[in-house]
Amino acid sequence: MISEGGNAHLPLCVMICSIGPVDPFVRDQVAECVSCQCRLPCRFSPEMTTPAYAFDEKRQQYNSKLILRYLMDLNHRSLRFLAVTQLDLFVPILKYVFGLAQIEGQCAIISTYRLRPEYYGHAPNPALFMERVKKTALHELGHTMGLTHCRDRRCIMHSATTIEDTDVKRARFCPTCHEIFKWQLEQYVS
Amino acid sequence: MPKREKKESMKIVPPGKKKCVWMEAGVVSYKLCDNNYDCPTCVYDHAMQTKVDRQKEAALTRPIEASPDQFTHSWVDKMMRLPASKRKCRYMITGEVDRKICPNAYECGTCSFDRMMQQRLQAEPLPVKTPAEVAGFELADGFYYHEGHTWARPEYGGRVRVGLDDFAQKLVGRLKRIDLPHIGHQLNQGETGFTVTRNGDTVGVLSPVDGIVSRVNDKILNNPELINRSPYEQGWLMIIEPTKLRKNLKGLYYGEEASSHIQAEKDRLFEVANEEFRMAADGGESVEDISGEMEGEAWVKLAKTFLRSQ
Ligand SMILES: [Zn+2]
Ligand SMILES: [Zn+2]
Repeated sequence: MISEGGNAHLPLCVMICSIGPVDPFVRDQVAECVSCQCRLPCRFSPEMTTPAYAFDEKRQQYNSKLILRYLMDLNHRSLRFLAVTQLDLFVPILKYVFGLAQIEGQCAIISTYRLRPEYYGHAPNPALFMERVKKTALHELGHTMGLTHCRDRRCIMHSATTIEDTDVKRARFCPTCHEIFKWQLEQYVS
Repeated sequence: MPKREKKESMKIVPPGKKKCVWMEAGVVSYKLCDNNYDCPTCVYDHAMQTKVDRQKEAALTRPIEASPDQFTHSWVDKMMRLPASKRKCRYMITGEVDRKICPNAYECGTCSFDRMMQQRLQAEPLPVKTPAEVAGFELADGFYYHEGHTWARPEYGGRVRVGLDDFAQKLVGRLKRIDLPHIGHQLNQGETGFTVTRNGDTVGVLSPVDGIVSRVNDKILNNPELINRSPYEQGWLMIIEPTKLRKNLKGLYYGEEASSHIQAEKDRLFEVANEEFRMAADGGESVEDISGEMEGEAWVKLAKTFLRSQ
């Protein structure tokens, strides 16, 4: 069982994996952002097929908890495993999610479905879209490093209920969250 | 003239606050109401009235100079000096009616308009400004929130209207029944005040304030879904004559504190509902009926946890 966070022998890297088709450019940008902001190298693992097991007929969305569960049962040779998908995700209780992550665990998943300006009836804006994708990815990675939600609205770890919340945040950790992130990471290095 | 400007700016009444009638009448330059316009029980009103009476007496024996800290007129005296068309009714001052001139020389105790307003205000919920969205839940502005997800709204005459907040409403979902206490029943802050029932399971809900129940919303007894449709207006539950209001309000969340509380509750709700492993979700509003996704035992557990009841 490698789902717990304290596996110092795992390669210090983040594995990024598409679930269903994802624009390789999006994947590359996420990798670049993660390696730059978190000082963690990224690798790509082969694309996984669309998870039919997680499709909810009633909601016409994919249950992200089931996907996360599935990911947690796999044997990953990386410190963290970040899945990226274009599918519309939900969890029981919430109408939709931008992302879901284990707290202090190995796995997280983000969805780009509700990050495109087009989804909200706005003109396409690739730069804004990529900004949102990066923020969501960093945020979920933060959770896997044990960070919980931060009260600072500008901090990447502030909870995003709506896309406006995402847009208000900056793509970086506030000093406190940064310190915790760094400290957690050091635990794995030593 | 910076000095004068400062004085003017001090007179600005913060949003959500109301001028004391003594300020409205111009007897004092700045005083906000802190007793929900329940003048008969207001310490400040009594003190002012006494001051005025004393100085009126003194004026009879020797003339006194006009000075800012001497009060020879009560707010009613001042208002009665205005032309009749300027004598605002107290319900106009407090914003409960748009325009109303006092018909009864501020003898509110014998005024039939006052009596009608008293009854009407108890029966009808006051309009609520579009509630703010916090973490996907609505929060009505100017309401006080108990940690057990009831709200308390002090209203005219010192009464407090009580209801379930949007979080509670979504948490308990469609109710089969709601059992409210009888009129005259004594409630205590933080103790079970009433119960909600769904699918044969009953859970207690805590009262946000101490006081005596003076009215219950009959409409929701037959139509509990009003609570889901309109938790801050049509779905109100009861009116309480509070006995320790000032003390009670300090134990409730308001404004920013209420927002932080809801945000934390959302995260906790998510943890409790998904306790098999620790995870965090980012995104949306909660579904309309949280408990619709968890029946029986899970519903009771969830409701008890967040309503803080036994
Ligand atoms: Zn932070
Ligand atoms: Zn989060």
